[in-house]
Amino acid sequence: MADTKFPTTLKETAWCPGCGNFGILGAVSEALEGLGLEPSQVLFVSGVGQAAKAPHYMAGNVLNTLHGRTLPTATGAKLANADLTVFAEGGDGDGYAEGGNHFLHALRKNVDITYLVHDNQVFGLTKGQASPRSDPGQVTGTTPQGVSMEAFNPLATAITLNAGFVARSFSGNKEHLIKTIQAGIQHKGFSLIDILQPCITFNKINTFKWYRSRTYDLNEDESYDPTDREAAWKRSWEWDDKIPIGVFYKVERPTLAEAHPALEQGALVKQDIAKESIKKLIEGFAVK
Amino acid sequence: MKTFSIRIGGEAGQGLVSVGNILLQAITEEGWYLFSHRDYESRIRGGHNFTQFRLSTEPVHTWEQKIDVLVALDKVTVDQHRQDLKENGVVIYSPEIQGKTIDEPNFVAVPFIQVAEDLEQPKVMANAVAAGAIWALLDDDLGVLHTIFAAMFSSKGDDIVEGNKKVSQAGYDLVREALDEREKPTKPEQVAERFLIAGNPALASGALAAGVKFMSAYPMTPSTGVTEFIAGHAKECAVVMEQAEDEISAMNMVVGAAYAGVRAMTATSGGGFALMTEAMGFAAAAEISVVVIDAQRPGPSTGLPTRTEQGDLLYGFGMSSGDFPRAILAPGDPVEAFYLMGHAFNLADKYQMPVVVMSDQHLADSYETVEPFDLDKVVIDRGELVSGEEAGADYKRFALTESGISPRLLPGNGPGLTVAAGDEHDEAGHLVESAEERLAMMEKRMAKMKLVEEEALAPVVFGDDDPELVLIAWGSTKGALRETVGILQEQGKKVKGVHINQVFPFSKELEPILNGPGTKYVVESNYSGQLQKLLGMEFAWKPDGSVRRYDGRPLGPDYILERLEGGMQRG
Repeated sequence: MADTKFPTTLKETAWCPGCGNFGILGAVSEALEGLGLEPSQVLFVSGVGQAAKAPHYMAGNVLNTLHGRTLPTATGAKLANADLTVFAEGGDGDGYAEGGNHFLHALRKNVDITYLVHDNQVFGLTKGQASPRSDPGQVTGTTPQGVSMEAFNPLATAITLNAGFVARSFSGNKEHLIKTIQAGIQHKGFSLIDILQPCITFNKINTFKWYRSRTYDLNEDESYDPTDREAAWKRSWEWDDKIPIGVFYKVERPTLAEAHPALEQGALVKQDIAKESIKKLIEGFAVK
Repeated sequence: MKTFSIRIGGEAGQGLVSVGNILLQAITEEGWYLFSHRDYESRIRGGHNFTQFRLSTEPVHTWEQKIDVLVALDKVTVDQHRQDLKENGVVIYSPEIQGKTIDEPNFVAVPFIQVAEDLEQPKVMANAVAAGAIWALLDDDLGVLHTIFAAMFSSKGDDIVEGNKKVSQAGYDLVREALDEREKPTKPEQVAERFLIAGNPALASGALAAGVKFMSAYPMTPSTGVTEFIAGHAKECAVVMEQAEDEISAMNMVVGAAYAGVRAMTATSGGGFALMTEAMGFAAAAEISVVVIDAQRPGPSTGLPTRTEQGDLLYGFGMSSGDFPRAILAPGDPVEAFYLMGHAFNLADKYQMPVVVMSDQHLADSYETVEPFDLDKVVIDRGELVSGEEAGADYKRFALTESGISPRLLPGNGPGLTVAAGDEHDEAGHLVESAEERLAMMEKRMAKMKLVEEEALAPVVFGDDDPELVLIAWGSTKGALRETVGILQEQGKKVKGVHINQVFPFSKELEPILNGPGTKYVVESNYSGQLQKLLGMEFAWKPDGSVRRYDGRPLGPDYILERLEGGMQRG
């Protein structure tokens, strides 16, 4: 690991020892190294929360933006410079609560970015309150009577909206995570990777042990067809005793860039001002 | 200055826009200068709306309350607007709409639909009947209308073109028969090259000329014209316009695109601006260059969606939490709108900060005949940028410098990395907590404000150097201000008009004006006197009085003069 272009030991982290985030940080580094990318070609757009600090601990361009706003920010960056490999990264609170509306529309837009969600089912940074991913009944500081709402199902939502690449992985299964991140990067279009990430301090239910005994790779079953949307949707509801990880659903759809004729000429940031067209346009205001 | 004003009232979806478009073209093609504004309701059909045309052989920059011609395409127009008729003003109305004939001097009955039908033409040609009737009061020659019909309808076939010509002639004849000896407005002799343009397309084309490459927005009246203009020309101008799911997303997309290195902007109105302020604060913290157009409308909240106000100034000034460098520009007419967009992008790029351009419904939607825009006058300054080689592997995005400006390396041009954060950060962009690093970074950012202040645009001043009265205004009030000054000067008064087109930070040149000779009045379209408050805050200054309008209608010289004569509100 010492000679990687994506070292993960650049800074002291703000994470608890043994945090599920470490596994994700390491896997992202190895996935990028494995694809032969350079740090300057990669952009991480992250939000606010413990997960959103991850890009600061590794080499790469970083735009550490507002809570919940990773997806529109990453969309703008990718549309402006298509040559960058763009990640959006944050926790389940960041993406599914504060950024919920952006999440729905990013799925529809199909911009070519990879979205890494550190899904620990609680708010870590503010010390353990319920997140949209908390199971009903979970008692937290803000839900002393237990969570009264349905848990948000990001995979079912993504499949419903015909997202291009819908996957789940687990921070305790490094090889699977590396493989899934690489597949996400290589997919042309929006890739959602919801990563089960135990919060060892504030979530005493969904622990490493709890996940290890339940997760299985659904892609190991050769009869599973990730292009079958209905089957994928059904599988996305499997939880509790057996929890599938892997690529649930994949479909090739036109990406957002294809909707913009200007991008046919390559990355926007490398294009000159269309002076002649603008001159003509302005002359159109002339009366005589 | 002699001007001639025509007001056409009608329901939405009833042809008001069509008649308006025909007249807009015809008046300008005949060489008159024009100022045309719209007063409309927030609905697609029905209601009562009007469009007004004010023409002259000299440039006109504002509207007038009093009108020469009133055209009633709906039933309520006559009663609602007849009090605004000048002496000897004409009303063109349709007995079939009114449900009666009106036997009064200068009321001309033109049954728009019936005229079309009598000539075996479709009802929709009632618009051409009305256009012909109006034209009879302006010109002896219907030729210009015929040319316009040919251009408009040639794709629909000769029958349609000929039908329009025929019915417009009939409308024309009816008015001529009734009012044959009437004096018509003077026709211009020499016609200089000129543009006819409203604020929204002027802002949008100014942005394009300045090299905007990315726009994201969520439609909101009265800013939508900017968004649709950019979207409509995105292909040939090699620009991306992406409609967002909400204004939060729009602003954050703009931030992402600007970080990646392109000139990026959004346009919205008050409620949408509210949703954008969080990301504008982020842009300030991460020192990202963004431009936001706020086309103001009366607030609070949804307010009066289709009407005008200058009520967002203090909100724009306090655009997000915390202290950070910022600038607010306020163009007063389409010409300023065009050039100030370029200036806004230059300021944003040079000082790596959010810049707000404050427009309003009156500027956005009003058409004005103006001098042609000169693309050679648009200077593009992207500020301090460094190449990958210059930056080196240890590039620090927020390097501490004397000026406070840290040279930008656009991401993707490594080996250096561009790390930016909304949390307080060190020179490399990584998160910090120490008091020392906070102080260093805060002082670095705020140091830029000194340069922004030094570069602040001087006010546009008209009138006397040694005035007894000074009128101070900002933004779209410019035209009304200029004309008010002119009228008072004609009356022998020594008056100065001060149009402020940068409302934050203010130019130092304002200080001697504020503290110089004359009684000072601040004229603005809001309840509480927001410009006055901001001037007071920045210069520890108080005017002698104020003129304010907040009924959603635009300030015009009539309104201002009436208040000045009426003793005025004391500031």
